[in-house]
Amino acid sequence: MSSASSHMHGSLGASAHDHDHHGPDRAHLLREENITLAPGAGRGISTALLGAGAIGIAAAIIGGTMMGPHGKAHALATLHVGVMTCLAMALGCLFYSLLFALVRAGWHGTIKRQFENVAMLVPFIGVGIIGILIADLFLGHPLFSWMGEYKDDFLLREKASWLNPGFFYVRIIGYVLIWTFLARRMSRLSQEQDRTGDRWLSAQAGGTGAWGMLIFALSLAFGSFDLLMSTDFRFFSTMWGVYYFAGAAYSGIALTILITATLKRKGKLDGLVTAEHYHDMGKFLLTFTVFWAYIAFSQYFLIWYSNMPEETSFYVARKLPPWDKVFFFLAFGHFLVPFIILLFRPIKKNLNTISLMAIWAILVEVVDMFWIVRPMVYAGDAHDTMGMSGLWIDFVGIAGVLAVFAALVVRKVCSGRLVAINDPYMHEALEHKNYV
Amino acid sequence: MARHSSGPIYTTEAGVPVYGIIAEYTTPADLYRAAEMVRDAGYSRWDVYTPFPIHGLDEAMGIRRTRLPVLIACIGLTGAGLGFLMQYWMTAVDYKMVVQGKDPTSWEAYIPITFELGILSAAFTAILGMLAFNKLPMWNNPLLRKDRFLRCSDDRLMICIEASDERFDQEKTRHLLEAAGGTNVDLVEEEPEKVKTEGTGH
Repeated sequence: MSSASSHMHGSLGASAHDHDHHGPDRAHLLREENITLAPGAGRGISTALLGAGAIGIAAAIIGGTMMGPHGKAHALATLHVGVMTCLAMALGCLFYSLLFALVRAGWHGTIKRQFENVAMLVPFIGVGIIGILIADLFLGHPLFSWMGEYKDDFLLREKASWLNPGFFYVRIIGYVLIWTFLARRMSRLSQEQDRTGDRWLSAQAGGTGAWGMLIFALSLAFGSFDLLMSTDFRFFSTMWGVYYFAGAAYSGIALTILITATLKRKGKLDGLVTAEHYHDMGKFLLTFTVFWAYIAFSQYFLIWYSNMPEETSFYVARKLPPWDKVFFFLAFGHFLVPFIILLFRPIKKNLNTISLMAIWAILVEVVDMFWIVRPMVYAGDAHDTMGMSGLWIDFVGIAGVLAVFAALVVRKVCSGRLVAINDPYMHEALEHKNYV
Repeated sequence: MARHSSGPIYTTEAGVPVYGIIAEYTTPADLYRAAEMVRDAGYSRWDVYTPFPIHGLDEAMGIRRTRLPVLIACIGLTGAGLGFLMQYWMTAVDYKMVVQGKDPTSWEAYIPITFELGILSAAFTAILGMLAFNKLPMWNNPLLRKDRFLRCSDDRLMICIEASDERFDQEKTRHLLEAAGGTNVDLVEEEPEKVKTEGTGH
């Protein structure tokens, strides 16, 4: 708050005609030591995270291999949960990158570099996805069982034009290429603007936002059909893409909050990312808390009412013990509790409380993915009590994937300037204030 | 009734009770500084009139945040809770009804109407509460009788400190507004109807 109030006279200028005279000291705020990290910064932590992640993933794989008939599938599903959570965060950040360029948002100039950074990790996640698909192939398709055990299922016959292995693998490669292309393009335009100061690059980014948003929305929806919904191939829901998007936008803004908060704790971005920016990022967190709940309930409600077996099977399995606990945990943990907490303005504006809510958001996104993917591992032993056993594998496996992702995030964030210094709307971002 | 809480009742030379003192400013920056001065002088019954919104004026005026959201939350949650209970009572207690083979106590079926009633009661509270907190609708205001006040919809920014303020003092308040850079500082007369009621009251 103190930094915001010291620019109060500057904020007046935003309404009048003379912001150049009263505006905050741009050169001082964008001074080099405020927006760059020391060379080699974050290398230690990212190496440690990478090591811890590798150990976690290895432990999950070894633990799964030793656990019995379903152990390998269990480990694979665990890694899939982790990768899908990371993909959600990266696509969430890609979404914000496209959206704010599209609407010519002024307030986000000081945080947009972080959206680009996280979105640029899509190729690494693509490698993870391909790794999982290869493992799935060699293990006889325990995860994508429609290619293996159930490939002659009569419910699959009608879907064969879409769900067939050749087309499936091509599509997955296609999604990763589309996301990589969009992320690289947004990042390249922004980085080039850093160097040249050409304001028209922002207009180009806005244009990319327009058509990019369309193919982003379609690729995310179909990607979530293929990567998540097809693990329970008998089930179908047209709401599925929106459901995954809601979680992506939710965890994406959460990660951005965490990145900027960490940088601020390191003494960077002083006066650049203020309580006002956290207020707005907190609003996005609140928005997508509600949006997720709305979508999740709508999807559940229609299926519950119409009561058709091929649709209800998904929820029946996930509302029976032991998954019922996860179901109700999501209702409270992914919606009710954060919804009520995030309604309070001081919580959104305080760096510590909003960081805690962001960590919580990423954790519940993990639980959401876990609830979708993990019940399928023992689906063959219909509704057995095996479901929750070996939970430690899930802990180390998911934590391992998230640690590797965190290592990549650290490395990417540290690789350049922390702020897009030549953003044409920078004066708006520097003076950003919520007048309500 | 005029809201003369305490202190002397000021009148104009013609003997009409004073509603307040008004001052004009030409730029947002001047107005902003003047508002801060009035705020720091401790006045509470005063307002600023501008032809366009000026960001940050709330802080310069020291206006505390509205309590309306608390009211909205309470009434919204009450509405949602009552909506849920109403449906439960109707479909599971008073007249048990099995629809589509579902258990009458299924919470799922209650959610849409619970949600709607929560939104409805919250929205009504927001609108009606906003009107009530702003003392709207207000059909007339003594300021509207001042010709120069009409420039508030054109090119002047004004501050009016009302006589009902505890700290109001005809001389000191005038000096404050002048010291804050105000021009055309002038007294505003109370509305005639109010004067009449007050007159019969005495």
